Amino acid sequence: MAGTVIGEGLSIEGDLSSEEEVVVQGNLRGKLTTTDAVSVGSSAVIEADVSAQSLTIAGQVTGDVTAAERVDLQAGGRLIGDVKASRLTIADGASFKGNVDMDV
Amino acid sequence: MNGSVIGRGTVVRGNVRGSGSLEILGRVEGDVSVNGELVIGEDGAVRGSVSGSHITCSGAVQGDVRGSEAVLLERGARVVGDLTAPRIGVATGALVKGLVRTDGEPALGAARRPATGGARPIAFPARAAAPAPKAEPREESREESGDSEPPEPKAAREAPPPPVVPALAKGAKAKKKRKED
Repeated sequence: MAGTVIGEGLSIEGDLSSEEEVVVQGNLRGKLTTTDAVSVGSSAVIEADVSAQSLTIAGQVTGDVTAAERVDLQAGGRLIGDVKASRLTIADGASFKGNVDMDV
Repeated sequence: MNGSVIGRGTVVRGNVRGSGSLEILGRVEGDVSVNGELVIGEDGAVRGSVSGSHITCSGAVQGDVRGSEAVLLERGARVVGDLTAPRIGVATGALVKGLVRTDGEPALGAARRPATGGARPIAFPARAAAPAPKAEPREESREESGDSEPPEPKAAREAPPPPVVPALAKGAKAKKKRKED
């Protein structure tokens, strides 16, 4: 099970930094940093810069996104912000607006 | 599932609010407010005020703790701040520094009635009601003697207020004193 879960209905205003997996289903405004994976659920609304090992987005993210490994933007996911990751997938049905930097 | 967890390796700097239950195993530097159950684990720490419906704390809190139903401090809990809830439990080995107060209207009747026997529930309202009439009329009669008695007001307002100390003729006190001597 994930180390940290921000459930639906919960909102955090501020910085969240972690050394474990973070699952967001609720709201987060500020900054999200973890050395592990981040999963943004379909009900999540994030207004924050996100930095993680890997990132899966099924909800809404507004902010710049940095992943050491990969970013997966799933169908129904919505990302407004720049992506910096060595691997990026954007599923059919996802919305995305921003620049991509894949370290080439 | 609507349960949230702030894990052991997680630090939140900011406020956490919302519905549902929350378990804090990591650290929060900010206020925490949920309307469900709140658990602060052994290694959990909050620097800020904490509120929830049913709060169980085994960790550290530096700030006020307010539960709309109950606050339970388990062994190992360390709280520096005020505790407020209709029901408060403090286990052996829990540390508290602050004001502890059981209050809150809805649970007042519910919590006390089953705990006390047959006679005491009557004693509570009686004791609460008794001091009030004793204290209040005296205050009222002094301050607003004109308003408390319906037939008098107009006359009382025109005439000077009745003297508090019985009026004595000039020199009466001195005479009395001389007599006593």
